[in-house]
Amino acid sequence: MNYFPDEVIEHVFDFVTSHKDRHSISLVCKSWFKIERYSRQNVFIGNCYAINPERLLRRFPCFKSLTLKGKPHFADFNLVPHGWGGFVQPWIEALARSRVGLEELRLKRMVVTDESLELLSRSFVNFKSLVLVSCEGFSTDGLASIASNCRHLQDLDLQENEIDDHRGQWLSCFPETYTSLVTLNFACLEGETNLVALERLVARSPNLRSLKLNRAVPLDALARLMACAPQIVDLGVGSYEDEQDSESCLKLQAAIRKCTSLRSLSGFLEAAPHCLSAFHPVCHNLTSLNLSYAAEIHGSHLIKLIEHCKKLQRLWILDSIGDKGLEVVASTCKELQELRVFPTDLQGGGNTAVTEDGLVAISAGCPKLHSILYFCQQMTNAALITVAKNCPNFIRFRLCILEPHKPDHVTSQPLDEGFGAIVQACKNLKRLSVSGLLTDQVFLYIGMYATELEMLSIAFAGDTDKGMLYVLNGCKKMRKLEIRDSPFGDAALLADVNKYETMRSLWMSSCEVTLGGCKRLARKAPWLNVEIINENDNNRMEENGYEGRQKVDKLYLYRTVVGTRVDAPPFVWIL
Amino acid sequence: MEKGGVEHEITELRLGLPGRDVTEKMMKKRGFTEMIMTSSGSNSDESGVVSGGDVEKINESPTAKSQVVGWPPVCSYRRKNNCKEAWTTKVGLGYVKVSMDGVPYLRKMDLGSSQGYDDLAFALDKLFGVRGIGVALKDGDNCKYVTIYEDKDGDWMLAGDVPWGMFIESCKRLRIMKRSDATGFGLQPRGVDE
Repeated sequence: MNYFPDEVIEHVFDFVTSHKDRHSISLVCKSWFKIERYSRQNVFIGNCYAINPERLLRRFPCFKSLTLKGKPHFADFNLVPHGWGGFVQPWIEALARSRVGLEELRLKRMVVTDESLELLSRSFVNFKSLVLVSCEGFSTDGLASIASNCRHLQDLDLQENEIDDHRGQWLSCFPETYTSLVTLNFACLEGETNLVALERLVARSPNLRSLKLNRAVPLDALARLMACAPQIVDLGVGSYEDEQDSESCLKLQAAIRKCTSLRSLSGFLEAAPHCLSAFHPVCHNLTSLNLSYAAEIHGSHLIKLIEHCKKLQRLWILDSIGDKGLEVVASTCKELQELRVFPTDLQGGGNTAVTEDGLVAISAGCPKLHSILYFCQQMTNAALITVAKNCPNFIRFRLCILEPHKPDHVTSQPLDEGFGAIVQACKNLKRLSVSGLLTDQVFLYIGMYATELEMLSIAFAGDTDKGMLYVLNGCKKMRKLEIRDSPFGDAALLADVNKYETMRSLWMSSCEVTLGGCKRLARKAPWLNVEIINENDNNRMEENGYEGRQKVDKLYLYRTVVGTRVDAPPFVWIL
Repeated sequence: MEKGGVEHEITELRLGLPGRDVTEKMMKKRGFTEMIMTSSGSNSDESGVVSGGDVEKINESPTAKSQVVGWPPVCSYRRKNNCKEAWTTKVGLGYVKVSMDGVPYLRKMDLGSSQGYDDLAFALDKLFGVRGIGVALKDGDNCKYVTIYEDKDGDWMLAGDVPWGMFIESCKRLRIMKRSDATGFGLQPRGVDE
């Protein structure tokens, strides 16, 4: 390959797009490292504190797309206090100062301010795509800047963010000459929407493919929007109160029938029970269906809809569908690849409708299933063993039994054997979440069999340090390990310090690790940031002999090439 | 940018199956309810509480379970927007959804802010900008609309039958129906106690 001019090699590299592969290419030789550097278009940074913008720019001066992730995953469950970090501002400032022609920015669990959005909107002439997932810190004013200034914007995709809604006119900030919109998702906005501005925007966006509305867009507006955009592929319905207003209903039904390209349906944020039938005509083409926010729709209506969805590949639903409903899914949706079943009743009240039977039915009926997230009240080893036999192709298997420490409800045994069967059968398993009553044994199995495992979530499980050690020693490809409320302590934490260099991060909360142990780790591994999060004033970092007994409430450690971060709040101690 | 995977020595796997039986293990864990009591703003400088024989306790007090931070692992955005948790909080505060036939929006109102059925009638009138809903609650047969409500058991009842206090405790949502549509709807007969 050294006999080819660089341009030829670069052209070949253009076909290599995955981050892992590009990383491998860069390691082959100096020449390839250099060519790869300058031709890299998409950069993915899984932990915004592992590196800084200056080093990023030095290595990849020509990239167009940047993906950044901030807070650790357990921040989704309120385990990371407000103000911990993950600020995008320094990144945008640095990129704005440089000559990078940024076109796409994708952020997850980061703090974004209106100032950041304003700077972003003014700094990159060709900016095309903004995707914000689980971010916070900004308002609709920031969106107004994006709308006003990004002349070539194609995607504005806001997923599950906390946005301060000023009920302003951000939608009317898109200029009348602006016609390049492809994706618009503002489902997470709480406030009222300027319907006139929205309808005009949609009407002048011939390339619009994905439109996800918030709950302030009512039925009649939905009908008009769909009539303007029959080319739509992905639709998120906002408010859907079908209370026998026949004219609106008819208009909607007519509009829906024209949307022959519709493949993905979601939303129904406020939905009356009898409304889904209007969508039956388009169901046979749907590949993705997300009804996980439609708490008001009774299981029977969900089932009637799903019976028409023979091509479904992705289904997100609430457990109100019941085991019976899941049996319908199993017999109808033969193309199903991903299933998520969310709980309606977080308190685990007696009424929950899905059990191990639903899971078994799905595994038996859906041969292409590779990703599952399943919340349920109860589970058995027998069921899990059956699931493993039916579905050896799982890549992601996340099971959450609502009550911690709950054993096999038939035998009262721990669920070690069931999960053991899963990891043994599923040779491509990359992500696993375990729950229920579990001993060290399950971790022995995981360490032994889960050779491809990259992410593992543990809660209320295990007996001794051995459990955690089995995982650290056995899972060579582990990248993210997150543990809460499990009896793992310093011995496990310190056994193999070098392991953490091969991982992105480790989270341990309400475990048995002590301050002394964490300090020892920090000393042994200067390439790690070892963060202790302490929200209690009582937990002072005491320089006395008691560190060995002072338990750490929350530990978050991650590899980094740029040392201690400077933006940590007072309640975060970086050792 | 990132250091490549560093080959490291595999520390010796310490095999050996935990040979204890289930109940013993359960007792050695921090009892779940114990943990809840110490968990909010947890003081982790206290050594882990070991409780004995807490197997029975774990099934106790469902309300205590909801106090464990971040469990079950449903992301906060979803909790706020969806689950019964958000729903029951709203009902607890007296907020119920009110729908009216022919109106494509749902309204929400705080039942707790009304003093009685007359007050409620007035509030509903204001909510929808219509006159005459109020009358429906009491007068029954003379007017265009009836007000019905869904109670805790999921049954639909005619509003105005039970004492006010009982009504606001059990009312989950309200619906203003055209009288003509109401017949045959399946309302529970008068006098039925929930």
